[in-house]
Amino acid sequence: MNYDAVEILFAEDSMDDAALTIRALKKNGLANNLYHVKDGAAALDFIYCKGEYATRSNKETPKLILLDLKMPKVSGFEVLEKVKSDPNFKLIPIVVLTSSKEDPDIKRCLELGVNSYIVKPVDTDNFFQAIKELGMYWIILNQTIH
Amino acid sequence: METHNNIIKDKRLNLIQEQLIKFTQQDFSGSIPLSKNADEIDAIIAGLNTLGEEMNTTRLELEKKSLFIKDNQERINNIQEILLKYTLMDFSCQIPITEKADELDAIAVGLNTLSEELENHIKQVENANNELVTVNKELEAFSYSVSHDLRAPLRAISGYAKIILEDYQGKLDEDAIKLIHAIIRNTKRMGELIDDLLAFSRLGRKQVTSSEINMMALVKLVKEDLVTNDIENRTNFNCDNLLPAQGDFTLIKQVWVNLISNAIKYSQHKPSTIIEIGSYLKENQMVYYVKDNGAGFDMQYYDKLFGVFQRLHSNEEFEGTGIGLAIVQKIIHRHNGTVWAESKLKEGSSFYFTLPI
Repeated sequence: MNYDAVEILFAEDSMDDAALTIRALKKNGLANNLYHVKDGAAALDFIYCKGEYATRSNKETPKLILLDLKMPKVSGFEVLEKVKSDPNFKLIPIVVLTSSKEDPDIKRCLELGVNSYIVKPVDTDNFFQAIKELGMYWIILNQTIH
Repeated sequence: METHNNIIKDKRLNLIQEQLIKFTQQDFSGSIPLSKNADEIDAIIAGLNTLGEEMNTTRLELEKKSLFIKDNQERINNIQEILLKYTLMDFSCQIPITEKADELDAIAVGLNTLSEELENHIKQVENANNELVTVNKELEAFSYSVSHDLRAPLRAISGYAKIILEDYQGKLDEDAIKLIHAIIRNTKRMGELIDDLLAFSRLGRKQVTSSEINMMALVKLVKEDLVTNDIENRTNFNCDNLLPAQGDFTLIKQVWVNLISNAIKYSQHKPSTIIEIGSYLKENQMVYYVKDNGAGFDMQYYDKLFGVFQRLHSNEEFEGTGIGLAIVQKIIHRHNGTVWAESKLKEGSSFYFTLPI
């Protein structure tokens, strides 16, 4: 696996949510290199080139982080807080995934500097709406699928 | 003249003078013997003697008291210090009781009892408060769990069902496709139930603020949000001049949304309907009502009307989760008002709520 080519880092502990999200995005033409980690600790290891990802070049950072909030070991909040308070990484756009638009978690995420949020289930409509709002036009849709 | 001279020569006058001088020196001891004359001077002497005795007694009492204070200064200071602690809600010390069993001890016993009672009372209030905080935290954790953990499997069920429809449509017959749509429909409904339950539980914890509400403008706003052209065409809205009220704007708006949307919903099967919205003043209460001539309900089941997730119609007949009126009741109760309804099956319903002035 060439970790350096990862454009979207996707942290989600629920395998069902992850499978459904990845399927929805790929099926509808997301052609970017997406890498899935199962908790916040792995997400931080990936970003900081530690542990399993120690060999990853720290010259390359993910262009976008998709972050579930409720994860074991290290929560999405902690990942968000750490990345957004680190001058080296705070410019990476982070989109959190939340269970409800009424969720009090959203307010906390906004305070921690999140760039956008998507209410689960993640489908292409709400994903690309969020991406559009972030001005991330480089996200590539694989037109051949359509 | 002779009498006058006699008086001047009277030795008793000297005695009186001496006694008065002693008085000015705070010496009230001794008395002047009365003569056999029993005249005006004797009367003065008697008065002087009584005064002297009274002064003497008073002074002795004062001396005794100041002596008592002087002797017990330490105890008094101690009581003062402990009382000061009590005012700061520190009940760790009790006033010590001595073996003298005197006035101070009597005061100390009384103060000790009072402070014990006060301390117990404060502890009870604190315990009740702590319990409330714990219950509230548990409720919050519960709601959070409901919101996150119940939704996750629901997303999976709905998501996989949709995948089957997308990827295996060609391999499924009509019945199977129908069943899968039923699964998806039910997951959606459970999602709505979870949302409603959360909205209802949040209500109980929300702080109720109060401001002047222009009901006329509020109802107009709510109506504009709810009424589509289609509804407008078959509904005649009669809205009287609504009285203003005091309340939480967001919450009272929710009450109107729920009552008016109910009136619209339960009138939808009639070709044309009238919805009447009005208010009146009764016994220091503002009474507001929404009347429709829609489906109505059987008053026999009235006690279920405002219950959480209680419904008097099937979901096929009228869609809904049964949370709307429960929310109305909770909001009005939190405003110290009341809600009630009157209805006749197939003829329509009237819903009333009051807000205190």
